[in-house]
Amino acid sequence: MRNSTRALTAALAAGTLLVAGCGRGGPGGGADATVSDDKIVLAVLNDQSGVYADLSGKNSIEAVKMAVADFQAKYGDKAVSGDIEVVSADHQNKPDIANSKAQELYDRGHADVILDVPTSSAALAVANVAKAKKKLYFNVGAATTELTGKQCNKYTFHYAYDTYMLANGTGTAVTRQGGKNWYILYPDYAFGQDMEKSFSAAIGTAGGTVVAKDPTPFPNDNFSTFLLKAPGLKPKPDVLGVMQAGGDLVNLVKQYNEFKLREQGIKLSVGLMFITDIHSLGPDAFAGTTFTDAWYWNFDDRNRQWADRFTARTQTRPSFAHAANYSAAMQYLEAVQRAGTDAADAVVGKLEGYTYDDMFARNATIRAADHRVVHDVYLAEVKPRSEVTTDWDYEKILRTIPAAEAFRPESAGGCTL
Amino acid sequence: MTSLLQQCFNGLVSGGFYALLALGLAIIFGMLGVVNFAHGAFFMLGAFGAYLALAEFGVPFWAALFLVPAVLFLLGMLLERTLIRRLTPFDPLYNFLLTFGLTLVLQDAVKREYGVQSQPYPRPAELSGSIDLGPFDYPAYQVFVLAAAIVLCAAVWLVLTRTRVGMVVRAATERPELTGALGVNVGRWVTPVFAFGVALAGLAGVLAAPMRAVNPLMGADLIIAVFAVVVIGGLGSVSGSVLAGFAIGVAQSLGNLYVPALSQTLIFIIMAGVLLWRPAGLFGREEART
Amino acid sequence: MIRLLLHHTEAAGRRPLRWLLLAAGLTLALALPWLVYPPVAMDIATWALFAAAVDLLLGYTGLLSFGHAAFWGTAAYTSGLIAIHGGLPFPLAVLGGAALAALLAVPIGYLCVRNTGIYFAMVTLAFAQMIYFVANQWRGATGGENGLQGIPREFLGADLSDPFVFYYAGLPIVLFGLLCLWRIVHSPFGHVLVAIRDNPARARAIGYPVDRYKLLAFVLSAALSGLAGGLFSISHGFASLQEVYWTTSGKAVMMVVLGGIGTLWGSTLGAALVVLLEDYLSTSGFNGIGLVTGTVFVLVVLLFRQGLWGAARQLGAAVSRTARRRTPRRRADAPAAPVPTTSTTSR
Repeated sequence: MRNSTRALTAALAAGTLLVAGCGRGGPGGGADATVSDDKIVLAVLNDQSGVYADLSGKNSIEAVKMAVADFQAKYGDKAVSGDIEVVSADHQNKPDIANSKAQELYDRGHADVILDVPTSSAALAVANVAKAKKKLYFNVGAATTELTGKQCNKYTFHYAYDTYMLANGTGTAVTRQGGKNWYILYPDYAFGQDMEKSFSAAIGTAGGTVVAKDPTPFPNDNFSTFLLKAPGLKPKPDVLGVMQAGGDLVNLVKQYNEFKLREQGIKLSVGLMFITDIHSLGPDAFAGTTFTDAWYWNFDDRNRQWADRFTARTQTRPSFAHAANYSAAMQYLEAVQRAGTDAADAVVGKLEGYTYDDMFARNATIRAADHRVVHDVYLAEVKPRSEVTTDWDYEKILRTIPAAEAFRPESAGGCTL
Repeated sequence: MTSLLQQCFNGLVSGGFYALLALGLAIIFGMLGVVNFAHGAFFMLGAFGAYLALAEFGVPFWAALFLVPAVLFLLGMLLERTLIRRLTPFDPLYNFLLTFGLTLVLQDAVKREYGVQSQPYPRPAELSGSIDLGPFDYPAYQVFVLAAAIVLCAAVWLVLTRTRVGMVVRAATERPELTGALGVNVGRWVTPVFAFGVALAGLAGVLAAPMRAVNPLMGADLIIAVFAVVVIGGLGSVSGSVLAGFAIGVAQSLGNLYVPALSQTLIFIIMAGVLLWRPAGLFGREEART
Repeated sequence: MIRLLLHHTEAAGRRPLRWLLLAAGLTLALALPWLVYPPVAMDIATWALFAAAVDLLLGYTGLLSFGHAAFWGTAAYTSGLIAIHGGLPFPLAVLGGAALAALLAVPIGYLCVRNTGIYFAMVTLAFAQMIYFVANQWRGATGGENGLQGIPREFLGADLSDPFVFYYAGLPIVLFGLLCLWRIVHSPFGHVLVAIRDNPARARAIGYPVDRYKLLAFVLSAALSGLAGGLFSISHGFASLQEVYWTTSGKAVMMVVLGGIGTLWGSTLGAALVVLLEDYLSTSGFNGIGLVTGTVFVLVVLLFRQGLWGAARQLGAAVSRTARRRTPRRRADAPAAPVPTTSTTSR
């Protein structure tokens, strides 16, 4: 045994010497803060096979490519760089893979900006990478307000939506429209708890009452316990507010219909719903449900025009995430154009406080204090099948929620950049 | 009081799914000594089968109820003949690993084809209303599911106790060495029993399609809960697994109402308690544990 | 026991080869961040230790744990919390994580080792799922599904932010863990474990308290898994629910089986393979990572049960046999029976 120990020590010592000799000379050693300006690289890091694949996924890469093409068409020879590249990676909703891939994209892929990154744990992990590498990051796909709260940083921007905007929009608007008494169901984990808090606050501010709220197990396939309880509450709730997402939401809605709560005068309001959810279950299952949407393709001509171009490339209608990725890529490139360089700090300087109005982001401001991109959002209702006229024509926009009201006030998040 | 009854009823409905899955697991285990990790995946295939039958071929729910399990029965036979059988001479853990790998393949294959979005599946029109159960009204479909689960479990029980096939299977499940020693040819029943267990999981999947989210991952989390159920009931005991299934369903439903904080972990806490008290499960016997 | 003795004498005959392999392995471990992207290299190293720790149970004690994510994940969170709030040097944080993982393994192990075979696998899986739910709900400590973010890499003021540098800072911990495993396996204790694996009844008859040995093996395996998990969270700078999910347990088992059950070094090989495959597939544009890994896994279980390392060993033995033209010592060259063969007859 002594023999083995000695050999091991020798090997270790040799290794240490080797390392000491080479120092930081290895591959990937030290990222350079200034990237050569002859090429701009936009990296889309998202979920291409899991729960967010339909919402965003591969078609978001297409959307970003559209933005690059539009940018090049707009500026032609005057563009800051003639060579703009779009690369992508699939993080499979695993934060560790997101973390490694983000580092690799910045270091080896020479990415100047990373876009999308759904799944909050992955999103926050990438935010930390962006901070360490001092490179830009536009999150589109994740809903956590932490990105613009305690875990905000100089290089991270949050586009499109978050839990506060979803809950506040629906809670306020539905209460004002007469849904005074609420029964709230939320999945018992961080997302659900955040949603419930924002929802209850919004309902209270708008003059409504939360009659009862119940955490539900996650994941869960049997919600009858809670649905049975709803009609018996005193006073009887007008609205059932549900914060479940994905498969759980589908379960809940199926059972809501089964227990015929709508017929008993209890409407359904959903915290987080995507057009892809409506598409997968069919509008009938959700008809009459209200929710907040960041963007809807069939809202006006400007959106429809873009959606038609998108559909020509992808054969499907865009979700808000596709449009938001397009917009984020475009605004990044515009900022690079204004700065005349892709050096991260200069671009951040051009983005902070910028106001604009594009196809996705109406009346938009990039808040300098927390890097939340605020813009108009919409209270939507799912149409019954009888009112659906074309494919994917599922939403009726009830109200536009102005940018100033839609998002969390910048003082409330606890962000210090 | 009414609400308590309602909650128990809820629990029985979700317990029905546990029971059907646990039943299939238990008889497969009894016959082959194999714990089928892919049972959740077969459940998912059952639900997807119902969805595809309706969406692609217009096969209604009532036909799918027979057709899909039949298809899964054939799939089960195929898998037993080509894969499972090759590993029976070795330690049963290899088959556990094999079915784990199979789960990944089946899940991802479905995911690649259809994505992870939930697929729509309507309730059959005949069962869209609710039924007056005396103290309360209850959705007809859920009543049907519970009735179907009870009838199926009872039918399997009758087959196991009243027929020659059942006798062999039961004997092989509960006293494997003795059965072989008495000269009963257990081997010829292995394939059909495995396939039957798979078909049962598929049937549970079809039953689940109208009331649960039909997506590739629907079986993954369920199967772990079902593992806990069979550990509680005792893997070697068919009736124990079924009873534990219903009991755990009720316990969870009441847990949801009274101790929501524990609702997810309750089943595992019960399992820990049972392991302390009776390591072989409530209805299991010591020697069945290896 | 007979197999053990044979194994031993035969091993003595192959000493030089063993040292050669060890040196090659070490060189490879040191050169890894030159060959692959450094964060990926670190992942390979941590997963290698995790898989080898799982193999201590599966290969040397005959217990298939499908719930080791509980220990890997618990340590990941604990190390992260220590690093964030304690400001301690990262090796201490990692050790703290490993210690808590070991502590958690005592009650879980106590309940699990009363069962063997399939039962053990199912019970460990169920307990790990319970830990997952606890982690998901215990938001104050774990950050829920946001994960525990912003874990620092503190080491006496040294700058370890570069993953290339951190690899060499973390590697000694992995090597220490592997050394521990190697010593355990080759200690008298390890030999008793193998005896229990091969024939528990006989081990009990000889007078060994079988359950206590199994419990100790379980706790050691959990502690070393924790060592790997803690290092993993420090290296990534966060810990997430992924770490306690059952797929993580499955991944570790998969690595062990691919590499070869009952061959510690095989597990490291399996880990490298799986990590590199996942890394490759994430940029290949192919959806269906489970399809690839699952198929490979099924094929290995069906046709290739001795795993990569076992196959290499067989090949090596065959080559040396033909070269030396001596009577082959067949039994000794066959890989140690992968999983216990107590109930080989089909029922």
